[in-house]
Amino acid sequence: MTATQESQDVTAASGEPRTINLITAVTEALHEEMERDSRVVLFGQDVGARGGVFMATAGLQASFGKQRVFDTPLSEAAIVGAAVGMAVRGLRPVAEIQFADYMGPGFDQIISQAAKMRYRSGGQYTAPLVIRTPSGGGVKGGHHHSQSPESYYTHTPGLKVVMPSTPYDAKGLLKAAIRGEDPVIFFEPKRLYRASKGEVPGHDYTVKIGEAAIRREGTDLSLIGYGGVMPDLERAADALEAEGVSVEVIDLRSLVPWDKALVVDSVQKTGRAVLVSEAPRISNFMGEVAYSIQEAAFDSLLAPVGQVAGFDIPYPYVQDKIYLPGPNRITAACVQALNY
Amino acid sequence: MTTSPLVEPFPETGIQPFTKEPIRYVGEDGLPVQNLPAAYTPERLRELHAVMLRAREFDRKLITLLRQGRTTFYAQSSGMEATQVGLAHSIRPGHDWVWPYYRDHTLALALGVPMFELISQVLGSNSDPSRGRQMPHHFAARKQHFVSISSSIANQVPPATGTAMAQKYLGTDEITVCTFGDGATSEGDWHAGMNMAGAMAAPCLFVCENNQWAISTNLSGQTASENIHIKAKAYGMPGFYVDGNDIVAVMEVGRTAAEWVRAGNGPALVECLTYRVGSHSNADADAEKHYRTREEVQEWLGRDPVVRVEKLLEHLGHPIESEERANMISAVHREVDEQVIRAEATGQPDWRIMFEDVYADLPAHLREEAAMLRAEQEGERK
Ligand SMILES: Cc1ncc(C[n+]2csc(CCOP(=O)(O)OP(=O)(O)O)c2C)c(N)n1
Repeated sequence: MTATQESQDVTAASGEPRTINLITAVTEALHEEMERDSRVVLFGQDVGARGGVFMATAGLQASFGKQRVFDTPLSEAAIVGAAVGMAVRGLRPVAEIQFADYMGPGFDQIISQAAKMRYRSGGQYTAPLVIRTPSGGGVKGGHHHSQSPESYYTHTPGLKVVMPSTPYDAKGLLKAAIRGEDPVIFFEPKRLYRASKGEVPGHDYTVKIGEAAIRREGTDLSLIGYGGVMPDLERAADALEAEGVSVEVIDLRSLVPWDKALVVDSVQKTGRAVLVSEAPRISNFMGEVAYSIQEAAFDSLLAPVGQVAGFDIPYPYVQDKIYLPGPNRITAACVQALNY
Repeated sequence: MTTSPLVEPFPETGIQPFTKEPIRYVGEDGLPVQNLPAAYTPERLRELHAVMLRAREFDRKLITLLRQGRTTFYAQSSGMEATQVGLAHSIRPGHDWVWPYYRDHTLALALGVPMFELISQVLGSNSDPSRGRQMPHHFAARKQHFVSISSSIANQVPPATGTAMAQKYLGTDEITVCTFGDGATSEGDWHAGMNMAGAMAAPCLFVCENNQWAISTNLSGQTASENIHIKAKAYGMPGFYVDGNDIVAVMEVGRTAAEWVRAGNGPALVECLTYRVGSHSNADADAEKHYRTREEVQEWLGRDPVVRVEKLLEHLGHPIESEERANMISAVHREVDEQVIRAEATGQPDWRIMFEDVYADLPAHLREEAAMLRAEQEGERK
């Protein structure tokens, strides 16, 4: 897998809205938060002079020095664990795990330490930290650079789990994550790093963790996803609208907490839901969404809740693109729901 | 630095890292094997003895509580008093930070965590600062900077390194102390945390309370390494080997290592060779018979750290009389009884707090779940 090494424009927000890509939004959020709060420190593998494999932290060590932006030994357990210990002592650590696929060695630190610190100490100690990590497929990364492990973390109370799909959300959600009082697992859909472009305001803002966004309004079907699949949802919705179907597109943006109310309202209006994610289907977070819809909006349903997910196989290298639930598979699931 | 910390004695105390034999000041017979530093007056030794005896009797009483079914779990530290009480003297309570492991209630007591809090936690009563959230024996005490204990072995090592890194970043003169058993040194987290601390020159004092058994696995089953402290070399820090049943040795070595860390030299490791004379926990009280010989336990009972101080005091001409000792013991038993009654009187935490402290604010899904449980609970009450 290759990382593009364009230089990043990391000017802090000033006045006019600008169009940037998702990775620049991440860099800007980090830059502005580090400027705002000296407790924010950033570390991980190769994040310093190099700026991370995707260059998300490019220029930050030059701006803030090696005390605040530094490379660590190659150990996810140490990176996550150190973040916990720093947060307990009053810093605001932002740790980068090079790929979500490598969170495994840090898993116990995430679920046993970060997630439980507040609860198990009865609020005596807290661990407000952010773990940023590129996730998802579509970049020909094979199964160790393409996985979508978010459901593991949604299953652990105490963690917030976030995945933006636009530059606006990436910047606003990351700022909210850094300013929040809870540990946040922040998944960055790597195939959208440069593919997703959009406007961000020229002033400081945050996006509240736990609120979904309606990308387009519609009346016939609710098409719900998050992260890397969002552009495909838009394409599927375009295709369906060309056939006269009115599609409501929802981006969950955060999985824990997630915006159940918005989703249920939408499905009560449209009567149909299709849920899309690229993670393997078994124990996929969308199972929770489907369950909640049938529980809260059963009477409104005109068709079974549809689901498009990744296959229950390790992520394949050569078949990278066909593994992902692209617009065709999404459209087909919608048509099935519409024709039920 | 003119001398290398990894081979030569530390100038102020003459204490040497990486010794073949555990460093010792007082032998098993209570006779000094080298000159005792002047600070160890009979009065001072009596104070230390009292703290150790208090911890010993606390253990004994809590085992009784367990037998009475008033609590469900207890992991005693009898036999390890010199290690934990001695270590406490390297720590400035409420200033330095401690990432302990589950067998450290003697350390907690020695750091000034109130017995009432410890008992409240063991009982899961309303007065438990951790609000009845953890199984017995998993304390947290904010005032003493005694961080919350997770049951996952060695899990506290990387976070301890992180706390030390934060202290360095903040420019404080605090250090972090991280404790663990010998078994913990086999876990990946231990190596990850030790390595990171070395690489980052984090002000962290690592202390292995080597009580020689990780449940049924002894040290030679745990590692082919001849001991634990030599592993420090691989991480670029001094490693000290100390007789963990000799409180003078633990205090002297602990202080030397802590000062080294405090001076900004990076981390250090202290291995205290000791023995837990009781079973690992009440959960395997019998299992113990399958892995330890009676002879081995008897041999270590003969090295009792509390008795060793008594022998030393006798040798110095300031013996603790048997009546005085009996009075001390009954005072601790009374204290435990009183605190148990006080803690039990606060009742059990209300089910409503179950949903608190998961996040800083209560999210919608937890509000919903709490409402569901409320309906269920109140329905049952009607
Ligand atoms: C990750 C993990 N694996 C297994 C256990 C079960 N367990 C609890 S205590 C223990 C032995 C630990 O021995 P050691 O670290 O030497 O400490 P000691 O109890 O002897 O003081 C084991 C295996 C655990 N708590 N955590």
